[in-house]
Amino acid sequence: MKNKVFMGFATIMMVVILAGCGKVPQAQIDATNAAIEAAKAAEVNVYLPDEFAKVQDAMNAVLADVETQKSKLFKKFGDAKLKLDEVTNMANQAAAAVAAKKEEVKKEAQTLLTDIKTVIEENTKLVPRLPRGKEGAQVIEQIKADLSGVESAVAEAQGLFDKGAFLDAVNKVKSAKAKADGLNSEIKEALTKARIRF
Amino acid sequence: MGKEPGKILIISVITLALLITGFLLFYPVPSPPSDILKTARDSISIALKKQADRYAPELFIQAKNSYDSAIAVWKRENERFIYARNYDPAKDYARMALKFSNLASVNSVELRSELMVKARENIDSLNNLLKRINDRYISYPYPVEIRERISKGKMLLKDAEVYLAEELYREADSLTSESEKLLSSAREFADLNLTEYFKSWPLWKKWITNTIAVSKKTGAYAIIADKFSRKLLLYHRGEKIKEYSAELGSNWVGNKRTDGDKATPEGMYKIIKKLDGNNTKYHKALLLNYPNTEDAARFKREVAGGSLPASAKIGGMIEIHGAGGKGADWTDGCIALTNSEIDVIYRLVNIGTPVTIVGSIYNIDQVLN
Repeated sequence: MKNKVFMGFATIMMVVILAGCGKVPQAQIDATNAAIEAAKAAEVNVYLPDEFAKVQDAMNAVLADVETQKSKLFKKFGDAKLKLDEVTNMANQAAAAVAAKKEEVKKEAQTLLTDIKTVIEENTKLVPRLPRGKEGAQVIEQIKADLSGVESAVAEAQGLFDKGAFLDAVNKVKSAKAKADGLNSEIKEALTKARIRF
Repeated sequence: MGKEPGKILIISVITLALLITGFLLFYPVPSPPSDILKTARDSISIALKKQADRYAPELFIQAKNSYDSAIAVWKRENERFIYARNYDPAKDYARMALKFSNLASVNSVELRSELMVKARENIDSLNNLLKRINDRYISYPYPVEIRERISKGKMLLKDAEVYLAEELYREADSLTSESEKLLSSAREFADLNLTEYFKSWPLWKKWITNTIAVSKKTGAYAIIADKFSRKLLLYHRGEKIKEYSAELGSNWVGNKRTDGDKATPEGMYKIIKKLDGNNTKYHKALLLNYPNTEDAARFKREVAGGSLPASAKIGGMIEIHGAGGKGADWTDGCIALTNSEIDVIYRLVNIGTPVTIVGSIYNIDQVLN
């Protein structure tokens, strides 16, 4: 009888002790952190900032869940483990998706750079044919200076592109393209007014 | 009898163990800061969506740091014996994180909206400034450096428009500031130079009045050239009868100082020779008596004062001639008209006809407004 009571008590104690000693899933936390770092290295934070923010939010929530469990007498990390797997998947998916997004931005930059070079080439050819209209040489000088400014901006955008900073290159080349298009319209309008064929 | 102490001991141990187990099971453990931290975390997330990291970075960093501190303190407390844990400092940090993130959100929304309005206003104002520069100074002979400033200013303005469209208001605002500096400096350069140039306006006005008076008195023709508006005005009997577009020397702002400076002189002159046929390469030409007495005296003073080198020459052969209509200020200092226009004037004027060349027939306020 005595032994039975003792065994019963010991079992209860073992259950209590085991339940209270659930282990923090440190290896999984480390793996998820590594997946997030890999996503960051793939520039998910640059090209897919919303997705990256979601991953970070989810990770912060899991880490808080882990601490919540650690604060309890009876710790259960099952949920946290599942969530860590989810976050790892999210990070991996974002890292996989960023390549496509990067390629898309790269193509956009490439197209813009090609387009703007064509416009610059056309502008450069048309400038010498500009009528020395009412305002004359000074206007042509200003157009030349503006064209040179556009060329510098394109060179800068090309530099950013070559460095792999595709988003910055797109922004830079967009404004240069707007300027080059504006100059192109200005030049063509002047040529049309002067009835010069182009 | 001998078994009694052992029995008592076992019963005591079991009782104690049961008490401890009961205590462990039913005594309330300190409540963790999970809820307040979740609220803080959500608030930080909202602040981030509202771009507080860009528009209220200090508050946002304070919020994040407070959150991190709350987590660190929470972790530290979790290492202690469960009933000895104190989560109050972690909760305090979480409350701070919540407060800072809420503030960051509010400030970010406000600043973002302010910057958006400011960037839009600045872009509008810069486009107006550019229009003013184009309207007033389109033919102004800016130095290369100033032209480059205008071009750079225009490019930055375009950059700002792109950033505004991308809702990157801080960048747009900063670009408009840079653009404003460049474009304003170009306008100031032109304004200052013109203001300085127009100091001669009272003298020009006097020359104009005298020229018109002479034309009226003698009933003869007189010519007034307005450099700023590129006009050549033909007067007869004191009345303006015709106005022509004129082309000047490329360095038209300011008086002629030396040979080869490509400036058109200012002063009261007379036609001293009429040239046509093989005597001129510009269809027809009216040679003026440049340098006149004042020009020669001024040149002498400048050489003596050292503002011109001793080797400088005053120049000459200033004419009103044909071959114009190019729309550019292309001459070496002469005034060019189209061939058909010089034909008309050539027929009407004589040797001795007064030709007065002024910077402007209007004062600076009329010119700039």
